[in-house]
Amino acid sequence: MLQIHNRYHRYLNRTGWGFIAPALAFYLVFMLYPIGSSLFLVTQKWRGMSREFVGLGNFVRMAHDQVFWKALGHNFLFMAIQIPLMVFLAMVIAVILHQGIKRFRGIFRTIYFLPVVTSLVAYSILFRILLQSNGLLNNFLHSLKLITEPIGWLNDPFWAKVTIILALTWRWTGYNMVFFLVGLQNINKEIYEAAEVDGASQIRQFFTITLPLLTPVILFSLVTSTSGTMQLFDEPNVLTWEGGPANATMTAALYIYRQAFVLNSDFGYASALSYVMVIIAAVLAFIQIKVLKERN
Amino acid sequence: MKKGLVLFLAVLMIAVSFMSCSNKEAKAGAPQKLTVWCWDPNFNGYSMGKAVEVYQASHPDVEIEIVDVPDNIEGKIEAGLQAGGAGLPDISLFQDYIIEKFVQNYPGAFVDLKAEGIDHSQFAQYKVAPMTDGDKIYGIPFDTGSTGLFLRTDIISAAGLNPDDYQKSMTWSEVIALGEKVKAATGMPLIAYDNTSFDFLRIMVQSTGTQFFDNSGNVMYDTPAVKKSLAYIKEMDDKGILFMAEGWNNWVAAFNNDQSAGLMNALWIIGTLKSKPENAGKWMVVPTPIVEGVANAQAASNNGGSSWYVLSATKNKDLAVDFLKSTWAGTTPEALGFYNEILKGAGAMGTFLPSRSGSNYTAKDEFFYKSQAVYKDFSAWMEKVPVLYYTPNYTAMRTALGNAMQGMLSGNITTVDGVIDAAAAEYKQTTGN
Repeated sequence: MLQIHNRYHRYLNRTGWGFIAPALAFYLVFMLYPIGSSLFLVTQKWRGMSREFVGLGNFVRMAHDQVFWKALGHNFLFMAIQIPLMVFLAMVIAVILHQGIKRFRGIFRTIYFLPVVTSLVAYSILFRILLQSNGLLNNFLHSLKLITEPIGWLNDPFWAKVTIILALTWRWTGYNMVFFLVGLQNINKEIYEAAEVDGASQIRQFFTITLPLLTPVILFSLVTSTSGTMQLFDEPNVLTWEGGPANATMTAALYIYRQAFVLNSDFGYASALSYVMVIIAAVLAFIQIKVLKERN
Repeated sequence: MKKGLVLFLAVLMIAVSFMSCSNKEAKAGAPQKLTVWCWDPNFNGYSMGKAVEVYQASHPDVEIEIVDVPDNIEGKIEAGLQAGGAGLPDISLFQDYIIEKFVQNYPGAFVDLKAEGIDHSQFAQYKVAPMTDGDKIYGIPFDTGSTGLFLRTDIISAAGLNPDDYQKSMTWSEVIALGEKVKAATGMPLIAYDNTSFDFLRIMVQSTGTQFFDNSGNVMYDTPAVKKSLAYIKEMDDKGILFMAEGWNNWVAAFNNDQSAGLMNALWIIGTLKSKPENAGKWMVVPTPIVEGVANAQAASNNGGSSWYVLSATKNKDLAVDFLKSTWAGTTPEALGFYNEILKGAGAMGTFLPSRSGSNYTAKDEFFYKSQAVYKDFSAWMEKVPVLYYTPNYTAMRTALGNAMQGMLSGNITTVDGVIDAAAAEYKQTTGN
């Protein structure tokens, strides 16, 4: 009896409970309750205030909803192309800033980080002006005789995807670059000195010293970017007019929002779609954690 | 991350405590206050501001705050209705096609203004119909979206044609013939077309007195009006008569900066035209072209237009109703005067029929070719706008057809039937109906 008391009495520590009570209250109200109630939501077909029990009907409906699966496909497409491109660029810029440039380093760092703190709406309007058919970019390419017909950066289903990838890269490269800069500063200079004494070239130093020692940063970048791209919403919503043209840049998160607040007021179906997204994100996170653990 | 959360919660708590403070003040008998949501401060906000001035002249103790909600006002109202009315204003403006969805999905969310004594027979009936549910009528109609075809007479002249020959009601075939001549002579497309918008097709189809639904409100894309309208759009695109603009700003630039010779839209675009004073004397407006070969096709249509609604969650229902009744539905000289004023000031034409006696409704407008009395024309066309219902599924319907139409204009879908099939398939998938 006493033993049991000893084993469990730490769970009954009132002071401890008192300390975590505020956090726990917020957790219950803002995390557990929404998750629990959303389990109820997915069984409902909603039309605003009126709702009707459909059991797993929302998931059956989802199976036929090609717009959603196409949107989810776009998430993976953006992930597969944009993230490697961005992480590579971020690393290259960080290395150049760290080793190659001696003057104005701070200015360059600021310039590359600026897109992160720029207003999304402002930059979307600028991008639209630059990218429209008779815009600056097409005129520039035309004057270089690289193209004969204007490219539909916003109008063409293929090029609109390219635009989203470019916009994301523009916005987030500087953000990731900061992590690489920190990573580079943490590499001991003596390692490079030793390598130089051994006669290793700059390129060789990069591949055998810099790159392996930056692996944790690369993984961190990949993990955060993956979850960011999984939830991608802003660019397709603002830059390409709600996932246009003709759903060519529709993403899962944007489609869920539109189901709830634009198209049908169907919060049940939107919740069901969210569950699918959460499961996919969880699987991705699980894989990444595994990879990270193996590395460590 | 954690720090951010803490900061956020702290801000939230401070905000909440401020909010509860202000509530207490209101209860203590301070001046009465109404909140109004609308978008576009130069048009809707301006017009509501004038109504507020009229009301405050006789009710100096009433404060009315106009809040600019630039983006997705319907979504914000929906979020508030889901939350049982929390955070909603007393009065809100939204587009006419939304109300049927709100009435179906949120019964009782809006105050029945007919029961409050508003005489809706004084308003244009095509505006009253969608907000009517049985013997209840929910809103106060605001502006008309009476449409026309705006043409640049100087460009038509430059093509060796006489603009006066075209200042008449035309069919789409005649417009296309004009477009080909202008294109051949000047290289300029006749009409600026916004590829991200549904407006163009909507104007064409509604001019035939139909929508995109059958009699019981189910979506029906396969109608003569839709097919014929899509065929005309495709023909114009194939012949290079349309300037394919990407979004609103690009579209405005297309007709204000001499990249196309015209546009088709509602009268509320006049303010945008006038933002380019160099074009004074160059524009003319002709009636909406007729979609020939479709029964009941006529030279009038409607695009856009919105109405004022009182939310049932309001704590100031009587005040809100009295404010609307004595301004937007008022026949006092002051009320009619403000209708006359917003027509000149913002190009906002109300649908309150007694207000049409105002001097600005018949005034000649120097900005237009040969000082055309454009508001007189639009007002006359408004009378011909047919009564149309939007059904609760208008947004989903529009999204699916708009996407299919973009497919047609980018060349991925080559036939009109293909567009209709693609739209029907997407509609079925996105609504589950």
